[in-house]
Amino acid sequence: MRRLLPLPLALAAAATLAACGGDDGTLTVFAAASLREVFPRIDAAARYSFAGSDEHATQIREGAPADVYAAASPRYPAELASEGLVEEPVVFATNRLVLVVPADNPAGIGSVPDLAAEGVRLVIAAPGVPAGDYTRRALETLGREDVLAQVVSEEADVKGVVSKVALGEADAGFVYATDVAPVEDDVHVIELPEEAQPEVEYSVAVVRGSERDRAARAFVERLLGEAGREALREAGFGTP
Amino acid sequence: MRRALDLLFAGALVLALTFLCLPLLAIFLRVSPETLVRQLGSDVAIDALVVSFKTSLIAHVFILGVGTPAAYVLATRRFRGRRLVVALVELPLVLPPAVAGLALFAALGQRGLLGESLDAFGIRVPLTQGAVVLAVVFVASPFYLRQAIAAFEAVDPNLLEAARTLGLRPLGAFRRVALPLAAGGLGAGSALAWARGLGEFGATIMFAGSLQGVTQTLPLAVYDQLAGDFDVALAIGAFLVVVSGALLVVVKFLPSWSSFASIFPFRSAPSGSS
Repeated sequence: MRRLLPLPLALAAAATLAACGGDDGTLTVFAAASLREVFPRIDAAARYSFAGSDEHATQIREGAPADVYAAASPRYPAELASEGLVEEPVVFATNRLVLVVPADNPAGIGSVPDLAAEGVRLVIAAPGVPAGDYTRRALETLGREDVLAQVVSEEADVKGVVSKVALGEADAGFVYATDVAPVEDDVHVIELPEEAQPEVEYSVAVVRGSERDRAARAFVERLLGEAGREALREAGFGTP
Repeated sequence: MRRALDLLFAGALVLALTFLCLPLLAIFLRVSPETLVRQLGSDVAIDALVVSFKTSLIAHVFILGVGTPAAYVLATRRFRGRRLVVALVELPLVLPPAVAGLALFAALGQRGLLGESLDAFGIRVPLTQGAVVLAVVFVASPFYLRQAIAAFEAVDPNLLEAARTLGLRPLGAFRRVALPLAAGGLGAGSALAWARGLGEFGATIMFAGSLQGVTQTLPLAVYDQLAGDFDVALAIGAFLVVVSGALLVVVKFLPSWSSFASIFPFRSAPSGSS
């Protein structure tokens, strides 16, 4: 009796942890925040985590149970591949960076130089977040890095920028063209000059050592196939 | 059988301690102490320290300045609906921080309840350092208020009555009798509120955003650096563990200090006017 008592407890604890592990065979996809609307349309049955691609890279390095990693920049999948954590990444979509302002445009912004005006509250993604890096690259090309002085918040992913502008808390923000659709009534889009447009590429890879690598491979195949390309194009992405 | 039960209970205690302490210990063991100290000197960490110190200090002035008299009223007056008021004051204690952030937006955001009126005065609160202060006050003040109400309630009303019969005005009784007697409890509540404010994350990142040197407090810097420089995140985390631990020691020991002080209550009161 003395020895048996802890056994049911340990069993109960093990059972609880196993039940919380979520390892029910469902495919887990770590995807860039900007893929939030389109990915469930490609595979409605998968379990998704949408966040900044840099954050997902850290989580995968720490052993997060992801099966597929889709990032808004080829940089992090390439890094993880060279560390042997994911398989060879493939570019599957492209996007455009745009400037958005609240629908009523309180700061009267019509172009990037207008952002430099006093009192303009600009929100962008943090450095290291793909959208943040693209934003800085575009401003650098335009020679307008001075507008970075107007930044009032650096968000952890691009959807943070979208919501701050859509709520009217920021006067402007840099987001992807595909982020606009869910908030199109609340924001107004300003296109960037063609020469300032950074090359925005999305890259996907199967995570090594995944227990569901067959399902993971099937997901990537579907994403790269006609069904995936059609859904991506419908959502406004470019396909290579 | 009795022994088995004892063993089982002791086992539960060991399990609980291990579970609670191991992750905290792991922060210190992952990299060398020199690395922790060096990374605490990085720009991100220093900026976050300054922002956190400044905003929590300002927030604390508000919490103590408004909270102390408010708690005194709630502790010493009996009126209809008092229990409801106490419950309302404590509501943010049990509220999810994300809801606090949402509520602050709904009240003070550009399109919020008071947003337009504030805008008329040229005041925009969200995404500023002021927003950090408000978020901290909102989530941390109930910790102080609760403790302060209890501390004032523990003051013997007869002493306050005696002070008044001896000619002290109500304000004098508050300052020279109630405050010194409740000092230990107030100090403990203050430390608890400071600890909660220093750790504030959810409402801040929603309502104030995150910008290094302006609104990026220590917890926000941990989050930001998780995907950036993990060692910096660890260094800030280790620092917060130490500070929170120190504040907890204050919380634990200040009330007993007050029972010592209450033996000589009037000694700590300023002399002069009477």
